[in-house]
Amino acid sequence: MRNKINFYLIEYAINAILRQKYKNIFIATTLTFLIFLLTSIFFITNSIKYELNATVDALPEIVVQKIKAGRHYDIDVHATEEILAITGVVDAVARVWGYYYFENAGVNFSIVGVDEFEAQYKESLKRVVGTTGLMDAQGSAMVVGSGVKETMQNNYYKDYFNFIKPDGTLKRVDIVGAFDGDTQLESNDMIVMSKADVREIFDMRESKATDIVVKVSNPDEVVTIASKIKLIFPDSRIITKNDLKISYQNIFDYKSGIFLALFVVSLFTFFIIIYDKASGLSSEEKREIGILKAIGWRVDDVLKEKFYEGFIISFFSYMMGVIAAVGFVYIFQAPLLQNIFTGYSQLKTSFELPFIFDVQTLFLVFFLSVPIYIAATIIPSWKIATLDADEVIR
Amino acid sequence: MSKNLYTPKTPKLLFSLFALILFFTLETLYIFSSKSLDDKTLEKREEFVSIVALPDLAISTEATFIRHRSMSDIFSIYKDDGSLREYFVSTYTYSHSHIQKADKSAK
Repeated sequence: MRNKINFYLIEYAINAILRQKYKNIFIATTLTFLIFLLTSIFFITNSIKYELNATVDALPEIVVQKIKAGRHYDIDVHATEEILAITGVVDAVARVWGYYYFENAGVNFSIVGVDEFEAQYKESLKRVVGTTGLMDAQGSAMVVGSGVKETMQNNYYKDYFNFIKPDGTLKRVDIVGAFDGDTQLESNDMIVMSKADVREIFDMRESKATDIVVKVSNPDEVVTIASKIKLIFPDSRIITKNDLKISYQNIFDYKSGIFLALFVVSLFTFFIIIYDKASGLSSEEKREIGILKAIGWRVDDVLKEKFYEGFIISFFSYMMGVIAAVGFVYIFQAPLLQNIFTGYSQLKTSFELPFIFDVQTLFLVFFLSVPIYIAATIIPSWKIATLDADEVIR
Repeated sequence: MSKNLYTPKTPKLLFSLFALILFFTLETLYIFSSKSLDDKTLEKREEFVSIVALPDLAISTEATFIRHRSMSDIFSIYKDDGSLREYFVSTYTYSHSHIQKADKSAK
């Protein structure tokens, strides 16, 4: 193996790179930047996907909504009884939730109602509320996400918040706790309070609910149960957990796909420039190859030397790009790039993404960059190297 | 050793390549130990999701296409289609709060 790698050729390649220092530094910087961008986007996408898939199993199997005139409409609470009668359904709960738009800050809060008297909710809430813990409140109380808490504090609501009801009157609700920072990616814009309070804020009647969630014990029965519900309530839209998984996949395929499409164009352009630069080898470089052949270098020696040149530049760029991407996404929370995913959100999360070591991405980016770059440098040299030495020098 | 007499730069190159790989490994290990999801955090998140029973992350809170895709709101330019499948532009383009925009221009 030792005699396979010719160190003199590597030394020559290093010197050849250093002879054209500025050109090669420019190429390496551009390639590093491209690799950095692509890897960062993949890292962000994969982390968000991982985060979503980690919690997707905690969701109810089926969500039933009423559609009226092509739009979501409040569903009757008594529909739960009919759904419960279907074989295989473990539980059906009418949910009350929605968005509350807080004009002063221009943000949407998501308000979810839970049954206060159910002990299990109290226990669960205690486990996900931050260090301050749940304080006992008199009257209306709510637990808020960290983003909501911050927004309220910026608007001088420290201990309570005044919701404006549809009729213009105010509803005061005390803040009794904030969700743990660990759940920020899920809970940032959330407000959890009792169903009665949510109904009052949204002006919903007791007999109505936003939607109905259905728990099914056997995952194989979900499709059957969904079709049965559809038969009983033809005006409903049934969303199964599987639909959600598909839609997650769609979002990320679409978003990273758009980026990839743009990126491939820039990558392609980059390699065209490289190829063009290399195939239009300067007369000096041509002469160099000619002289090398004249003093006894074989064609494969020239190609090996060019391979080392290409490999050194592209592998260095690859490593630098990947190192920078890992730090950028997971240590600095991807400033600027995260906007592709967060869009217009006024209620910013810290964007602390969970880390997964993603070998697939690393390989994908490697094969997109290193071999292609090496090919773009070797092919023009091979064209010159196969000519006769005297022809080239002349 | 005699080899290095004629190839003084090669060991430096190999050393820097090795250093880069080592640095990458160390960085990955550090982030893996500090930023990966541990069981306790995951449990909390699952607990939270089971309480509110709403899908999606609170990353993009002004658009239905990321947050709680099961409800249309007054912010989307286009409404979600009935079958929840993404199709071009409808769920990619969305409008933000115009009140907010007016505020900004006022400033």
